[in-house]
Amino acid sequence: MNGAINYTYGFSHGVEWGWPIAVYLLLAGISGGALIVALLVRFYKKQQVDTPLLKAASLVSFVTIALGMVFLVGDLEKPLYFWKILIHYNFTSVMSIGVMAISIYIPLSLIMCFYLFEKEISVVLAKKSQLLGYFEMVMVLLKKIRPMIEVLSVVFAVVICAYTGFLISVLVRFPILNTAILPALFVVSGLSAGTASASMVASYLFKEDTHSSDLKTLHVIEWPIMAVEIMLIAMLFVSLLVGNEFQQTTTVAFQSGVYANLFWFGVMGVGFGLPLVLNFALGKHVAHSHMAFYLSGMASVLGVLCLRMFIIYAGQTFSI
Amino acid sequence: MENDGKRRAFLKVLGLGSVSLGTAGYSVALGTGKAEKKPHYGMIFDQNKCVGCTDCEVACRKVNEVPEGQVRLYVENKTDPSTPMDKKYVRVSCQQCEDAPCVAVCPSKACHRDVKTGIVTMNPDDCIACKYCIVACPYDVRFINHKTKAAENCNFCLNTNLAKGKEPACVESCKYKALVFGDLNDENAYINQILHVKDHVRMKPTYGTKPSLRYIPVVKVGV
Repeated sequence: MNGAINYTYGFSHGVEWGWPIAVYLLLAGISGGALIVALLVRFYKKQQVDTPLLKAASLVSFVTIALGMVFLVGDLEKPLYFWKILIHYNFTSVMSIGVMAISIYIPLSLIMCFYLFEKEISVVLAKKSQLLGYFEMVMVLLKKIRPMIEVLSVVFAVVICAYTGFLISVLVRFPILNTAILPALFVVSGLSAGTASASMVASYLFKEDTHSSDLKTLHVIEWPIMAVEIMLIAMLFVSLLVGNEFQQTTTVAFQSGVYANLFWFGVMGVGFGLPLVLNFALGKHVAHSHMAFYLSGMASVLGVLCLRMFIIYAGQTFSI
Repeated sequence: MENDGKRRAFLKVLGLGSVSLGTAGYSVALGTGKAEKKPHYGMIFDQNKCVGCTDCEVACRKVNEVPEGQVRLYVENKTDPSTPMDKKYVRVSCQQCEDAPCVAVCPSKACHRDVKTGIVTMNPDDCIACKYCIVACPYDVRFINHKTKAAENCNFCLNTNLAKGKEPACVESCKYKALVFGDLNDENAYINQILHVKDHVRMKPTYGTKPSLRYIPVVKVGV
């Protein structure tokens, strides 16, 4: 910077956006990613029946985004005032745009749950016949627009994943965050965490065979997604390495200290290494076992959580 | 011959057109000249004059009721350890950017530009304390007030001293006249007279936020 005069003192004293935000970013990624892959599989295979995968994905996407809201609102210093954000919109703010997208996306994911759990909800509502009547009336209307709702759900799921990246990539003070790659990285890592979560829930709750046609498809696309994710992380690192003085100093985050450990053991080791070893290095017997299926799924989700933690913490630690 | 007539007509139209448009334009220009310019408040920190007494800090905290342990304004000692006799201080506070990132990112419009004065300030009631403005600020000079739980920044004492027609508390309290406050849009203001004759810099100009705070650095000849 201008050497004649500058200051190093700042008022924020450390990481302002902590782990609740990292967890929210993970949950939003899982929510969007799960819905995207399940619906794309449905479109691609022209499925007419409701598959266990779609059931699982709808449930996962609604539950995770709802839980994400808890973390998001909980992180506010004035959580009870969160409604202010819903009545004042600022169109230059990524957060405002995100809130708008979320307030469309949550109902969409809820409607997806209605479609896929119609029977279950009817059974629960059966005791209150009046409510059941209303529910059936609404479902008749909703069923007519199902193709449109499905397409909109995919679109908004992508928007949700991408906005979480844009949300923090506009923070100019932090070189690791202020990159164009971040939204893309968040979409792709969301896809990988979403794929893993949806297939685990499909198998565990809805008794989908781990070698069924749908889960095999997911298993095939998992590896290209992972490859793109690694590529994007490498691009992020290289863009810092070849950048200006401040960007170069932030590459320390990848090389030493607690964040480097989080990155290499958490993101690379658990997130990428463990699934690869379980599925390719230990032979077919292990790769086809239930243990490997769940373990590598959980490792993927944990890896994406580590990535979000790394981005949030290392990103805010290295400021200009 | 026919062409000649056409050309003459064309020139006539051109001449008349330019005269009428010109006068119209001139009168419009005069009109806007007469309209009152909105103020653009700025401040100068003169490093040559600041001795680091922190009277400004104390005055600011008192006038604006900043909670214990927090500050809107801080004087950082930037003295080079190898030349301890050459004292250097620098003011750390909101830079009052013309293109303020905090205003741009605030989702509830709590962080806004005051309509009358153009000063970047807060409406604490609308602030939900999401801390987006704090992380978006390239200068890291915003904080959550422990008492009000709302984000806060130096707003040139907009609601306190300025509202009473006084200068900001820091400027008022500075015994060494290291701080100058005024309207940058007012050609005759003292702040502009100084800016005309002194070299001054803006903090982190590469961010393009156009800070309204100007710094006059210590420049030692022959060093």
